[in-house]
Amino acid sequence: MMLQVLVRSMLLLLLSCSVAVSGEQSLMPYQGPQPAPDFELVDVDGGKHRLSDYRGKPLIINFWATWCPPCREEMPSMNRAWRKVKDEVSMLAVNVGEDEDTIFIFSADYPIDFPVLLDRSGAVIKQWPVKGLPTTFVLDRDGNIRYTAVGAREWDDDALLEIVKGL
Amino acid sequence: MLSPIHQINALFIFFALILGPAMADVIRSVDEQTGLLSWRMQEGDFELKVTQLLPDQTRAFFLARGFSKETANTIATGCIMQTIGSNSADKDAHGAVDVDLKRWRMLHNGSEGPIKPKEQWDSEWPAGKVSDAARLAFRWATFPTQQDFAPGDYGWGMTSFGLLPGSYFDLKVVWSAGGVQKEAWIRGIQCAEER
Repeated sequence: MMLQVLVRSMLLLLLSCSVAVSGEQSLMPYQGPQPAPDFELVDVDGGKHRLSDYRGKPLIINFWATWCPPCREEMPSMNRAWRKVKDEVSMLAVNVGEDEDTIFIFSADYPIDFPVLLDRSGAVIKQWPVKGLPTTFVLDRDGNIRYTAVGAREWDDDALLEIVKGL
Repeated sequence: MLSPIHQINALFIFFALILGPAMADVIRSVDEQTGLLSWRMQEGDFELKVTQLLPDQTRAFFLARGFSKETANTIATGCIMQTIGSNSADKDAHGAVDVDLKRWRMLHNGSEGPIKPKEQWDSEWPAGKVSDAARLAFRWATFPTQQDFAPGDYGWGMTSFGLLPGSYFDLKVVWSAGGVQKEAWIRGIQCAEER
């Protein structure tokens, strides 16, 4: 119980340290475009997902962890974005290093309606140009990385989503 | 005899020369609820914030990630700070801010040396001492050793300085912007004490 209190206070403290995100949500054009490294991962229900199967629509792919404060901060906006654009854009949340039970508990407070994939060993994130969490990539319909975002964003920003839909 | 405009220009140049390069702004603040100290530095588009973490909080965090009590305690008593770096340039601006922790230096008790990056921690844990899951969590919970921050990007994570709780040190922050290396000192940082 005491451990839970300390962990919670730690996460609150880390969240309070977050940097305010500017009103205009930025995406950095990726050098290239560059084909995204393909992978196959299972989701929290055991279903298999291969990245290349998502071609045909733009894709937002987010690398995250439940204990990562800015990841927690942006997840609601990712879910709102999903509700806005799910017919036009695919979204994946790739969790790094955690199990389905941990994500299940997390999702009680932070619902995620799009697929959550489990990169338990960290083998997939190693193949991607990620230095820290959260890092999000936006892929075009052909599976090329077109934009990156390091740190949290307000993903349901209309201007940002227009950029994504146009890919 | 110089014209008034040229006299003013000459005065500006004179003061710029004697004062040296522009100093980074460093603001020290105290969180009203926790009493923990933060140091916030800004120069140009680069912002850095370093915040105390209580040893107990760090212990709890790493215990929850699967570290043993002994290893979690070793980390927690090694002066861990929450660190956030960001590039506050307008989203349409060009040019990343490059941060490499290996270039940072700390000054403690008159002795200058590097900070302790995650790779050094990892090398202290032989296979079997720390589980793969814990090691993975440590890797991603700590500030990237090297990162380019594009306009609008920010990165966060723990940095460690290898000092005992309550110790004081000065930190030389080094970064590159537009291909130019810059540095600034944050003086009088204190590692959080045990509570």
